[in-house]
Amino acid sequence: MLALSIAARFLRSSSGQTSLIIAGIGVGIAVQIFVGSLITSLQDDLVESTVGSSPHITLVGVDDQPISATVAEDAMDQPEVTTAIPVRRMSALYVEGDSLPLSVTGGDAVDVDSIYGLSERIVDGRYSLDDGEILVGIGFAETAGVEPGDSLSLVLPDGGSGEYTVAGVFDLGAAAANDRQAFLDAGSVADALGLGEDEFSAIEIQVDDVFASTEVAGRLAADGIEVIDWQTENEELLSGLAAQSGSSIMIQAFVLVAVALGIASTLAINAVQKTRQIGILKAMGMTDAASGRIFLLQALILGVAGVALGVVFGYVLIWGFSFAPVDFEVRPSPGLILISVAVGIAVALASSIIPSRSTSRLDPIEVIQSA
Amino acid sequence: MPELVAAHDVDKTYGEGDTATRALTSVTFSIDEGEFTSIVGQSGSGKSTLLNLLGLLDTPTQGRVMLRDQDTSQLDRRQRAGLRGETIGFVFQFHHLLPEFSVTENMTMPLRIGGQKIGDEERERVDGLLDLLGLEGLGDKNANDLSGGQKQRVAIGRALINDPGIVLADEPTGNLDTSNTDSVYRLFRDVNKERGTGFLIVTHDRVVAEMTDRILEVRDGELVQDVRNGYA
Repeated sequence: MLALSIAARFLRSSSGQTSLIIAGIGVGIAVQIFVGSLITSLQDDLVESTVGSSPHITLVGVDDQPISATVAEDAMDQPEVTTAIPVRRMSALYVEGDSLPLSVTGGDAVDVDSIYGLSERIVDGRYSLDDGEILVGIGFAETAGVEPGDSLSLVLPDGGSGEYTVAGVFDLGAAAANDRQAFLDAGSVADALGLGEDEFSAIEIQVDDVFASTEVAGRLAADGIEVIDWQTENEELLSGLAAQSGSSIMIQAFVLVAVALGIASTLAINAVQKTRQIGILKAMGMTDAASGRIFLLQALILGVAGVALGVVFGYVLIWGFSFAPVDFEVRPSPGLILISVAVGIAVALASSIIPSRSTSRLDPIEVIQSA
Repeated sequence: MPELVAAHDVDKTYGEGDTATRALTSVTFSIDEGEFTSIVGQSGSGKSTLLNLLGLLDTPTQGRVMLRDQDTSQLDRRQRAGLRGETIGFVFQFHHLLPEFSVTENMTMPLRIGGQKIGDEERERVDGLLDLLGLEGLGDKNANDLSGGQKQRVAIGRALINDPGIVLADEPTGNLDTSNTDSVYRLFRDVNKERGTGFLIVTHDRVVAEMTDRILEVRDGELVQDVRNGYA
């Protein structure tokens, strides 16, 4: 194709200018990929630490009425639901020395692990919730001075007391949970609350996409059941994430504008530099459309080369960040990279509109009559 | 010989209203296939305007330009570009070679614009023209690496590559010294005789015009003289 060969030759004839603009596009796209991946990774980590090891949706009986385990089985019918477990919850108080409140969740060991991932988070002792066994957070264990094998006496909601054996100490990664959360076998909590075999305080649910929780929660609503969705409970966090995404998109948009201006100015200069050539090509019979295509194709070549370089630069930046002394990993986001590539090339093509149009309108006589 | 190109009552006015400038007034003449003609006139007389109209680079304000019996006023820009590429070769005062391309690439450009692939046959045609132009062995050189005279000869080769019906040359030796000027006109004459290619040469130089078979004189936008030389 003649227009492509002329476009390539025009770019090669000003190789310094061409290299600079390709490098410019490359840096712009690399910044886009890096900033986008950084923000996405940060947000994923934040969401994971917030709700990764906790229920996304909780179903409780209205007015603290007990709820049946069959509700959990019904919830599993929703395609997005990955885990739904019945639990019993109570507040308890540790009163030896300081008075320390505990929020106790009682459930089956396997069930509890499927939501909280506790078996992976035990830092002392073992993961077990056999009859009379309790798991406590590392913060509580240090304050109370207890360790696996110790007996723990708690004041229960009815004013009575319960004796449990510490099976293990966990670290959930959040000080509040490590200080106050405890897990007890299901039967012990049922005894403490006076609940029957099929009577539970709540159904705790996780879904495959945490941001689908509101929609799933809507479907799970039923008479006599109160639905608590993590997104409703964490509105501030979500609006923070949205603000972060907004600022990230704004940075990326400005980078794209800079890239577009760079390409447009290069092509505009190139169009002026090559006016004589375009005029003579037209005099020899090249159509207006074909001459306009030369600049469109120049933009395409610059866009593709620049974007390809940008993807490489972007990965290098992400790789370089892995050596930074921070406990955080930036993961390249393939979807975001594809969008950057597509938008980068589209911006390059859009930048060629003005020089392409002015070239296609060029009258060969203007050129021929001047030196 | 059949008629190749003709102007019928052609007017050309630039601008409108008070600023309108009339460049050509009621110009009528025709040129046959294979004619070796010159247009003479002072600077600003309208001779280049006439050449641009005949070369389909511009359109008349009134009147018609016929090319091989086709009324070009009925054609749009795209069709005129196509017909121009097929029928007309141009040689300008400035060589207007593409500095990004080699001599051969410059010469084959009109073929590629016309959508032809450059194969062995086309390369042979280029070699033949390079021999004719005295540019043997220079095909792979960059156009920028040639002397002024060589560049103008490459531009002539480019005009001839399509075997056009006519070559329109606007002061083709205006930038060349006397020896290069002579060799260019000898070349034009040789091509005219050997290939039957028509030439229409715009010049302000009477001596150059005397070398052609027919002289058209333009004065103040009007065709005032149409004489045939003894060579015809």
